[in-house]
Amino acid sequence: MTYRVGVDIGGTFTDFALFTEGSGIVGIHKRLTTPRDPSRAVIEGLQDLLTDSGVALADVQAVVHGTTLVTNAVIERRGAPTGMLVTQGFRDILDMRRERRYDLYDLTPGFPDPLVPRALRREVDERILFDGSVERAVDLEEAKSGVAELVTDHDIRALAVCFINSYLNPTHELAVRDAIQVAFPDLFVSTSAEVFPHWREFERWTTATANAFTQPVLDRYLRHIERELGALGFTGRITMMASNGGMVTPDTARRFPVRMMESGPAAGALMSARHGTALDLPDVLSFDMGGTTAKGALVRAGSPLRTYELEVARVHEFKPGSGVPIKIPVIDMIEIGAGGGSIAEIDGRGMIRVGPRSAGADPGPACYGQRGEAATLTDANVVLGYLDPNFFLGGEMRLDPRASERAIASHVADPLDVSVVRAAWGIHETINEDVARAFRVHAAERGFDYRGCTMIAFGGSGPIHAHSIAAKLKVPRVIFPPAAGVMSALGLLVCPLSFDVARSNLTFVDALGDDWYERHSRPLADEAVGLIRAAGVAAANVTIIHRLDIRYQGQGFEIEVTLPNEADPVVMRDAIPDAFGARYQEIFAIPGLDERLEIVNWKVEARAPEPKDSGMPAFLGVETGERAARKRNRRAYFPEADDFFDCPAHDRYTLVPGDAVEGPALIEERESTCLLGIGATARVDERYNLVVDLTKGT
Amino acid sequence: MMQTAEPLQQTTDAPLDPVTLGILWDRLISITDEGVSAMLRSSFSTILRECLDLTAILFDADGNSIAQGTKSLPSFTGTGPATLRHILERHPPETLNPGDAIATNDAWQGTGHYFDICVMRPAFRHGRIVGYTMSISHLPDIGGIGYTAAATDIYQEGLRIPACKLMQAGEPNELAFEFIRANVRVPEQVVGDIMANVSCNEVSGQKLVEFMNETGLDDLSSLSHAIRRQSERSMRDCIRGIPDGVYRNQVDIEGFDESVRLACSITVNGDHLLIDYDGTGPSVSRGINCALNITSAWTYFALKCLMAGDIPNNQGFLAPVSIKAPEGCILNARPPSPTAGRHLVVHFIPSLVFGAFEQAIPDVVQAESGMVGHLTVQGVHRNGREISDIFTATGGVGGVREADGAETTSTPTTIGVVPVEIWEALTSMTVERKAFLPDSGGGGRTRGGLGQEVVIRNDSGNTLTVFPMGYRTDFPARGYHGGADGRPTRFEANGKPLHPKDRYLMAPGDRVRIMEAGGGGFGAAKDRDPERVLEDVLEGYVSVECAREAYGVEVDAAARTARRRA
Repeated sequence: MTYRVGVDIGGTFTDFALFTEGSGIVGIHKRLTTPRDPSRAVIEGLQDLLTDSGVALADVQAVVHGTTLVTNAVIERRGAPTGMLVTQGFRDILDMRRERRYDLYDLTPGFPDPLVPRALRREVDERILFDGSVERAVDLEEAKSGVAELVTDHDIRALAVCFINSYLNPTHELAVRDAIQVAFPDLFVSTSAEVFPHWREFERWTTATANAFTQPVLDRYLRHIERELGALGFTGRITMMASNGGMVTPDTARRFPVRMMESGPAAGALMSARHGTALDLPDVLSFDMGGTTAKGALVRAGSPLRTYELEVARVHEFKPGSGVPIKIPVIDMIEIGAGGGSIAEIDGRGMIRVGPRSAGADPGPACYGQRGEAATLTDANVVLGYLDPNFFLGGEMRLDPRASERAIASHVADPLDVSVVRAAWGIHETINEDVARAFRVHAAERGFDYRGCTMIAFGGSGPIHAHSIAAKLKVPRVIFPPAAGVMSALGLLVCPLSFDVARSNLTFVDALGDDWYERHSRPLADEAVGLIRAAGVAAANVTIIHRLDIRYQGQGFEIEVTLPNEADPVVMRDAIPDAFGARYQEIFAIPGLDERLEIVNWKVEARAPEPKDSGMPAFLGVETGERAARKRNRRAYFPEADDFFDCPAHDRYTLVPGDAVEGPALIEERESTCLLGIGATARVDERYNLVVDLTKGT
Repeated sequence: MMQTAEPLQQTTDAPLDPVTLGILWDRLISITDEGVSAMLRSSFSTILRECLDLTAILFDADGNSIAQGTKSLPSFTGTGPATLRHILERHPPETLNPGDAIATNDAWQGTGHYFDICVMRPAFRHGRIVGYTMSISHLPDIGGIGYTAAATDIYQEGLRIPACKLMQAGEPNELAFEFIRANVRVPEQVVGDIMANVSCNEVSGQKLVEFMNETGLDDLSSLSHAIRRQSERSMRDCIRGIPDGVYRNQVDIEGFDESVRLACSITVNGDHLLIDYDGTGPSVSRGINCALNITSAWTYFALKCLMAGDIPNNQGFLAPVSIKAPEGCILNARPPSPTAGRHLVVHFIPSLVFGAFEQAIPDVVQAESGMVGHLTVQGVHRNGREISDIFTATGGVGGVREADGAETTSTPTTIGVVPVEIWEALTSMTVERKAFLPDSGGGGRTRGGLGQEVVIRNDSGNTLTVFPMGYRTDFPARGYHGGADGRPTRFEANGKPLHPKDRYLMAPGDRVRIMEAGGGGFGAAKDRDPERVLEDVLEGYVSVECAREAYGVEVDAAARTARRRA
């Protein structure tokens, strides 16, 4: 028997899932992350999981990882001291950003400091023009002496090489990289055109500096893992999840650590998509809510929507524009500052506002009894009876409901002159409204009609809020998968190996000759396929997907078009205008214009086949003995009655396929509680999912 | 003329519980945000998508505004109610049918220039009007001489659309659309954007009715009243935080042909605030004149920056503020004064208002900023294509009491700039340098932000025409509380000064240099912590000489020490 293990290293917890073909998921595990050396929790957790499941490490064929290591290194500035070489005259671009305020009324909006301070940037005499031609050859001696100074004076460990127009012609960046690698073999070097050759210097350079900044961190982590797993007798393969929902090898991860950003949440969204596909529900709203933030993703026809920009380390209330922009292929997620730790307060107009400030894990909500005084969403859910103070994290942590009441009274109820219960309900409902609003706006901007799709809810806080949010959105169905607390670890097991490459290069569609494929797409396809084949995938099994960003000449924005898969490049090229026209009509609901089409970005994704039937928990390791399905009753508040009910609280682990639970009800598992409103019915399907149909009842 | 709203009467209605009110209120704002998203998605032009130059507003059946999209720009603050009033005067409610949509771009009834179209749609429920929705967006073209301040009367500025039914019971009014198509340069884009407005209103109107069905509200009046009363109360609380008194300020600005004076006196009396622009210079024969609606919008915006950023836009927020300006002054211009480039004047209203409050609320006002400079380039690209593009460079922001001004950041607008690589591809010009201008920020206890230097070379092989258009060329950003002024904006061509309002023919190989203004400092430079002066010198923001002369601080960069001279 061979096994695969998914490991998701989150900020607070490291989650594990053990899978074997035929039986599916045979074990899950969760333990605290060890931030100083994340490999420790991985190794220890893995050993515990395998021991509990009676599996030998030698039988594990692959360890698949997602990690917040790279994101956290940027947020907490724990990367390596990094230098930068930049085209003469452009040293300040990193500080200038987009020169734009992100908040209309804020006179002093904060911005994150650049990852490379101004003093660690050196200008180099070189210039490539807008058409890719060389105006001034690169001065390699100047580059080397600049780096020598940075190494001596600032002890840099990594270097980003960032030149103007390198997205068109990377030769100067590459020449500098080669010269530096010879002169300074220990230095990690990233070039902006290799990391992501996208036009717009600020974003491309910022991405390259983030890549350089995190290279030594990821390299060190991977070396630890490889060494320790090897020492324990592991002979299988290690792969890492990337932000686009694909897997990469450790070598690729080391070259492009920036591509690993936000891979945990991406795995969760991917798992939602997979649940949807397995149930023949291709359109899904993936809803994940944890302690600090809620994350949403839209899944269309089985695939999460994608985008090519991410913003991390936002310094002001999760506001777009207040963070570090990173250009990478990534699953398009909404991030809302709404989670269990979100703090409730009275805003400038005298109404309840919840988040985005969060009490975090320390001091945490008032009910944690760790000196936290703020009234949080978790406190509201305790007061309303939705969370059992004696069964938090499976009873590992006791909550203090009195502290919740006190916090809500002083921060919300008293200022508004309402009862504590009313205030708690206001906090709970404000979050539901905020999440519903974020979904509506996100979907409206993308032309995604969610009224026929299914919400899949997970994360520590998601299942308490999902039913109400789905009702507000008029989504007909909500599914609560089992093991919702380790959803991302499960998601890691369903990702195929894949890699995206993209390049900006302005070209008119009608100017593409018959050799267009060889000139523009072949080099990208070779690069992407090469990285997949290096992981041992046969060429015949690699799928190539071509996407182009196209616009009408003179238009300021592009539309992504996926090309039909044709063997003959000429047929493929001739299909471009129609593919664009169809997409244009879809987005704008008006017919296209009589203008020339211009290609802006060329993108190629190479993808290996998806692992078969993985990720689906066949068995959760739960007690099957006595079916005391109804654990007990608990007093919980329901707004329809504006009162507390004796509400049945079920133990999720005792529910089996075919069971049905009538709302109002609470269904508890170790890491989360599912709240069913009045009139709702949840059925347990054969995959142990709870399925709530909102079209029936009220 | 005076723009004000009646204070709301207290009613004896059972008040809405604040928990319910907050939730219902947020739902209404969410409805306008969804309308904005629908408009963004279906809009064609770059200006809508990149600059978010649009908004959506909800009104109750009596025409009171109750919610507005959160992404609304300053120019759309509080203009909606008057626009709706004008539209309803011409098309009274009893003449409206489900599926009607009425549009106008009138400068005096809308938002101050023809480029903004306002589209209104009644929301019907059970055969009765329960509210109105409105959207406003900046069109890519409206005919006439184009988007410039050069017109000498408003007839040159393009097509004026009097409030007319664009859609009649869901069917397009073909005659109206034909008139529009025949008068604009890019008809598909313009009509596309107008239709995006129509669909925005359809979405928000439909969501409004769904909201009423769900909540069981038969009309919006009590909810509207509660929202407005709560906003008004919050705004009155904010005003009460300002000591009573009369506060005055005046600023001189570059204008078009000659400089223009803006003046105001602000009377704070308890919880009411009156802004009177008496003393402001007369309107001029170029398109930089402001109708009172746009003057008011920017006034409300300035007040929101100072005290009320988190009070949502609705009629209640406007109630405690009165605004007046002498008829015929540049801030209350009358037809047929041209208005297309009104932004060149209204962008100074925040500084004008902040300056009046310099002493009264010193903790929140911001010293003057370097703002944003533009260079318009016209001619032929090296590849033979016609080009007409605008290069934008931002200056430094003014300091506030507790923080330095940001370097090179757009203020008071939130416009972004074109990246160097995109500019070069668009124009076949080469940017040789884009860098901070050390010492350009006004010295102070907190420093003004740095401006920037940009050098652009004409590599198109053709002669290009360039028009600089800058603020702060004659009048630098003023420092507050003893802070020094920022360095002014300067333009050069091939090393020689270029008149900031000139048109310049740029031969192949010629260079234009833009030196964008720095922000004003706040507080005396001699009070700045020498350690912070040292940091500025080490970062290269301030030179050793400037540290000595402006701040009285001797810096030894090598030894990393700084001390203030006695």
